Amino acid sequence: MELIETTRQALRLLFAGDAELWRIVWVSLKISVGALLLMSPVAIAVGYLLATQRFPGRRIIVVVTQALFAFPTVVVGLLLYMLLSRQGPLGSLHLLFTQTAMMIGQMLIAAPILVAFTLSAVQGADARVRETAIVLGAGRWRTALTVLTEVRFGVMAALFNGFGRVISEVGCALMVGGNIAGMTRNMPTAIALETTKGEFAQGVALGIVLMVLALGVNFAMSWAQGAGAQPQ
Amino acid sequence: MNMASTVPVALRDGAGDRDAHDRVVVSCHGLKRSIGAQVILDVNRLRLARGRIYLLSGPNGAGKTTLLRVLAGLDRASCAAFQFDGEAIDLAQYPQSVRRRIGFVHHHPLLFSTSLHANIGYGLKAAGVARAEAKRRIADAIEWAGLGGLVDRPSRALSAGEKQRVALARAHALDPVLYLLDEPKANLDERGREMVTSLIGC
Amino acid sequence: MWRGWRWLTIAIVCSGMLAATAGNVLARDLRLATTTSTDNSGLLGYLLPRFEAAHGIKVIVISVGTGKALKLGENGDVDVVLVHSRPDEDRFIEQEHGVNRRDVMYNDFVIVGPLVDPAALRGGRDAVKAFGKIMDARSVFVSRGDDSGTHKMELRYWSELGKQPTGNSGYRSAGRGMGEVLLMASELSAYALTDRATFYAMKDKVDLEILVQGDPRLFNPYGVMAVNPAKYPDINFDAAMRFIDWLTSSQGQQAISEFKVDGKQLFFPNAAP
Repeated sequence: MELIETTRQALRLLFAGDAELWRIVWVSLKISVGALLLMSPVAIAVGYLLATQRFPGRRIIVVVTQALFAFPTVVVGLLLYMLLSRQGPLGSLHLLFTQTAMMIGQMLIAAPILVAFTLSAVQGADARVRETAIVLGAGRWRTALTVLTEVRFGVMAALFNGFGRVISEVGCALMVGGNIAGMTRNMPTAIALETTKGEFAQGVALGIVLMVLALGVNFAMSWAQGAGAQPQ
Repeated sequence: MNMASTVPVALRDGAGDRDAHDRVVVSCHGLKRSIGAQVILDVNRLRLARGRIYLLSGPNGAGKTTLLRVLAGLDRASCAAFQFDGEAIDLAQYPQSVRRRIGFVHHHPLLFSTSLHANIGYGLKAAGVARAEAKRRIADAIEWAGLGGLVDRPSRALSAGEKQRVALARAHALDPVLYLLDEPKANLDERGREMVTSLIGC
Repeated sequence: MWRGWRWLTIAIVCSGMLAATAGNVLARDLRLATTTSTDNSGLLGYLLPRFEAAHGIKVIVISVGTGKALKLGENGDVDVVLVHSRPDEDRFIEQEHGVNRRDVMYNDFVIVGPLVDPAALRGGRDAVKAFGKIMDARSVFVSRGDDSGTHKMELRYWSELGKQPTGNSGYRSAGRGMGEVLLMASELSAYALTDRATFYAMKDKVDLEILVQGDPRLFNPYGVMAVNPAKYPDINFDAAMRFIDWLTSSQGQQAISEFKVDGKQLFFPNAAP
């Protein structure tokens, strides 16, 4: 039976420490974690401002952010491809088919999730948190930091969620990364590649890693939500 | 101390150190807060002197909390002339220097989910007080509020009365010239009320 | 909501793998696994209507790399395979996955590169020598890297050269189809090995030109074979044999030589009569 044999080969690859396989996992983690680390300060700040400030156009931004939530990643990939292509406005940067391009793509994909989750976490925070900080003499930055610390589980949920989305994202990574071995080949694009080669074992092995990661993120998420839901 | 007749809020001069220097802390004329067309607070004249305790009474919705929030700079209000500790203040741009001299405590105070020390030291840190000095003032505040036995407890494990005392200690650490306490004894049991009474002296 | 797309993505990846393994069984149509070069060039679009009209058999084309095409045949997911990698084809027959292998035609490969041509390949004929120059100049070379016939052909040149392609810091193994690789090479100002048909089809979209051609080693023979009915009794063996016979018949062979893109013949029939 092909399926059982493939799974056995996949497990062998995983546990024998196949260098190529783990390199792909490493590339994936590096790009996705990097994208989140670079994007989260900006996105969390935007989410916080949207939740706490009143200004014209705020509602439109909130609605657009929520709409971008389900934005197809291939469209992000397409737009970024056109921007970074040699004929594109940013072509002179020579970023197409690099890890940087993939990271930018994942930052764009993660941004609406980070913003929207931070927004709802901050909106869900007790109004007294902000007021207490203010009356105790905290400035804008300290107040923001205090509120975000109080809703840290919500912010963590935003990060886990963003990670879950970008780590398994294939459309944009394939378009702007190009699936170059050892450079821009991450788990989702490698799975797609191994299937076209007719070699399923590595694809299944990476699929297992991806699922274990997704499960881990799920557990982390429900832990964060559970911890955040505890009464004050 | 004349309140506008339209709003049924009474300000009663309560207990306090009547021999203290009778310096005015807050004085203002024509304090008004409206939401849309509705005026929810209208105070003709208000004068609060240092070293005194004032009790604000009135029915629900009369504007007691709103007045405290306006004075603490949490709610916006217009005011013809507002003076704090002898200094003319534009209420629309409530300055940080005033805020640090006022200790506001919510009806149900909220403690940050950090340690008791960090809660009490929060305002000091925000004010940039040096570490050693802050440490000393935190220790003083803990002693003042009788919280010595609670310092290792997570804030969510404290009772309502204990939280109230931590919140008072947190305000006290900043050594304000004016405390604004919103129903500090509500929802406390007998023992909790006694402890708060002993802290604020009424 | 967020759980939704996480699992959906994984479900799609998994079902993709399952679908590729299990295949989908369609009535009595003929399922043909072939390489992207025959499909992308438009050759199949030219040949198949003629076959379908003559025999009343509908052909379903699955166009993938040679490796995958053979794998589909090995798993009984298709009835007939048309590919271009002779050693793999012979192994396919030896291992009794297929029967009745026949030569069909050949096309030729070219080495393309940027107009500035940093490794100075222009006008060369020797494919292996050209690869040596690319390596010496440390120029960027985009490889299919997808185990396709083209990829295997490229690997043969590197091994004739006695070099490991990955030793060149400019070597990029893309793991993608010919069209994508050409676009990528154009973007990276890189060299690539391509079949002539796909290059002509893509010519307007890429800043690349043919630099090396005419080496007999660049000729690329295609073979057709039926999946072994002894292994998979339910496959459409009859239609597969009729397709092979038609393709190698004088009508089929003539149709292949009549197929032109921009007035250029891309495939040259060479079936033994």
